[in-house]
Amino acid sequence: MVERRLKWLAAVVLLWGAAAFYKIVSLQFVHHAEFSRMARAHQELVIDIPAPRGTIFDRSGAPLAMSVPTESVYLNPLRVPDLGVASEILSLVLKLDRMELYGKMKLAAETHRGFLWIKRRISPEETQSLRNLHLEWIAIQTESQRHYPGGTLAAHVLGGVDFEERGNGGIEKALDDVLRGQPGRARLLTDVKRRGIDQQLSSEARAGTPVTLTIEERLQFVAEREIAAAVAKNQAASGSIVVMNPYDGQIYAMASYPTYDPNVPPQPGDDIAARQNHALSVPFEPGSVFKVITLTAALETTNLRPESPIDCHGGVLRLPGRVIHDSHAGMGVVPMAIVLAKSSNIGAIQVGMRVGQNNMYDYMRRFGFGARTGIQLPAESSGKQRKLAHWGKTSLASVSMGQEVSVTTLQLAQAGSVIANGGLLVKPRLLLKRGDQPVPAAPAVRVIKPETAITMRQMMEGVVMPGGTGTRARLEGYSVGGKTGSAQIYDFFSRHYTHSYNGSFVGLAPLTNPAIVVVVTLNGTHGTAGFGGAAAAPVFHTVATEALRILDVPRDIPEEDPPPTAKTARSSDDVNDLAIADLGSDQPNILEEGDDEEQPVNAAAGPKVPNFRGMSMRAVLAEAARQGLIVMADGSGTARMQIPPPGSVLHEGERIRVRFAR
Amino acid sequence: MATMPAFWKRTPAHASGQQPPTGPPDPLRAQRNPFLLRPLPQEGVYFHCKKIDNSRLVRETDPHTRGATWSVAGACLSLLAVLALAQIPNVLTTLEGYRLENLRTEERRYLDERRALELQEATLLSPERLEKLAQEQNLVTPSSRQVIHLDSRPDGAVAMVH
Repeated sequence: MVERRLKWLAAVVLLWGAAAFYKIVSLQFVHHAEFSRMARAHQELVIDIPAPRGTIFDRSGAPLAMSVPTESVYLNPLRVPDLGVASEILSLVLKLDRMELYGKMKLAAETHRGFLWIKRRISPEETQSLRNLHLEWIAIQTESQRHYPGGTLAAHVLGGVDFEERGNGGIEKALDDVLRGQPGRARLLTDVKRRGIDQQLSSEARAGTPVTLTIEERLQFVAEREIAAAVAKNQAASGSIVVMNPYDGQIYAMASYPTYDPNVPPQPGDDIAARQNHALSVPFEPGSVFKVITLTAALETTNLRPESPIDCHGGVLRLPGRVIHDSHAGMGVVPMAIVLAKSSNIGAIQVGMRVGQNNMYDYMRRFGFGARTGIQLPAESSGKQRKLAHWGKTSLASVSMGQEVSVTTLQLAQAGSVIANGGLLVKPRLLLKRGDQPVPAAPAVRVIKPETAITMRQMMEGVVMPGGTGTRARLEGYSVGGKTGSAQIYDFFSRHYTHSYNGSFVGLAPLTNPAIVVVVTLNGTHGTAGFGGAAAAPVFHTVATEALRILDVPRDIPEEDPPPTAKTARSSDDVNDLAIADLGSDQPNILEEGDDEEQPVNAAAGPKVPNFRGMSMRAVLAEAARQGLIVMADGSGTARMQIPPPGSVLHEGERIRVRFAR
Repeated sequence: MATMPAFWKRTPAHASGQQPPTGPPDPLRAQRNPFLLRPLPQEGVYFHCKKIDNSRLVRETDPHTRGATWSVAGACLSLLAVLALAQIPNVLTTLEGYRLENLRTEERRYLDERRALELQEATLLSPERLEKLAQEQNLVTPSSRQVIHLDSRPDGAVAMVH
């Protein structure tokens, strides 16, 4: 009896074992892959590890462009139980047109499309509303969105990105490989409630490298504000400004107008010109600013000196098939420095004739014209410099005064840097750091002699001095050199020069040790008020003043009387670069001791400031104490400079600052 | 009379097919008294409770068996403890995994928040906005002659305006 039962029990156990073994074999060997896949699908989640695009900073660390994560909604129309209800819910939460959404979803379902974006970059509130619905057919994906917190600030330098966050202009495009991150992927082991337990990296995320530009945010803002105001004031078509460090080529500001907001995607019908960087993509005939090149070539290749007499033929010069006029009462024989200060076309042509075609062409190339500067921005124009073989009979004359050649604002800044830094051609650059690594400047190339550069600086100072064409560019406390330019715009349809102008100004300051080169260009100005001296030089004044203040550049000349008012400046300025007037003094604006003129004194206002210059610190303090004045001493040795200047009236609470040096 | 075991266990006679003597033999239908009830099954069985006192019976102590029992129990517990100890790292790993994933999620959220705050800060500090605010407050940039840079400046003092 017992044995029989045991036999039954053994049989049952054996059968159960066999069934279990069969199941094990089936699970572990026959259907292993299938069940593993099913298990993984239940237990594992594949998650994307975001890799944000690198932030773009200005030189002081302020972010100019950065990416932040946002959410986007999508769904599989084939899994939506009721398209009508779904479209109603989604349109209500996401504020979409219900019928349009329904049409899209229906079309996608009919064409068996398993993926449909409902709305991208939704707000956090919309995200929360959708999550609260707990509908499994609504999927939310985290994406990254590029933001430009300054709006239009440095828009042309930064460029923009497309929907996939790929650069499509400016630095964003030029450094796309550096800025773009590589998203990672990981498998997340989850429990039954989809809580993560463990993570295995499939591919590591590589965040985009942040880059630091040479741009100074505040200066960029000032440059953009001023160029916009100047374009509006002069009814110009466009304008651009470049502020550059002449020694290492760092671009502190690059403004272009009209401009755009890179936060707003381009729309059909947008003005294409607004997205062009006029500072480097739109070449123009430079006009008289090019005389700097002509005179530099003359100093290097001929025996002409600043004081060498140049015959300006009374304002009229006959060339084969062409008559050149100075548009003002012509000059006779004047020193070469005056040719530059007064911007005489005929004088420049005479100088250019002495230089000769070959030398002229050679020096244009040396200054970097006719070639791209190599700045890290796309769509840079090389300008236009015709090959020597294609020059006509009057080409040398034209080129000498800045015609038959086209340049960009950036090229002019590069050329101005050669004069400012003592004869070295430096490459403009925008990239200061890549990640934490400083980006070295390209080695500079000597293109002219240092003494030539210094001589040119002195001659350029004459341009902003009384009698010159660029007096409105003078700065308080800083010596300035520059050159105005006003070129008529050539109309290719009528084949004639129009009465629209490219007004420009190239300036450097302080002249004794230039810290900045500023080039201002206004395209399509009208009338005499649109000439370089009248339209561009005041912009230089404002931008350079701000730049020197922001960059904390020490003043190189004492404070002077307040600059001439607009009225007096207008009366003393030439109405165009080629105007002629009585030759004013070409005295340098670096005042020597004792050059200060007496300030008008208001006897009722307060005590006069004594002259401390040449006195020791002890004597200065004793004298100040005797007169009851407060003196702030700076340095040691002998008093060299004082603010306010001697003789000026001291206002209540005002203190005297005296700088001592040995 | 029978005991419960005897009642439930079939007797050898019953097992061999013999009818137990449960009562008088069943008379023929013709001989039956129609006024008498038929006997019930097991009518002749009587139960009797017999008191049995087993208190004086005591199991004999077997130290060897007891020791073996304790050994087996101890071994089982030890094995269980070893197995439990062996599982502790796995359990801790799982718990730490939960914690790690929570921290990762939190870190990602904080990073996102930080980026959003940085963007907000940059937007608030944009030069355009600051200039607009300054204009509203009637503030102007000091002219160059109004600013004196202090060479031997105390901490934080860069320039003074007079």
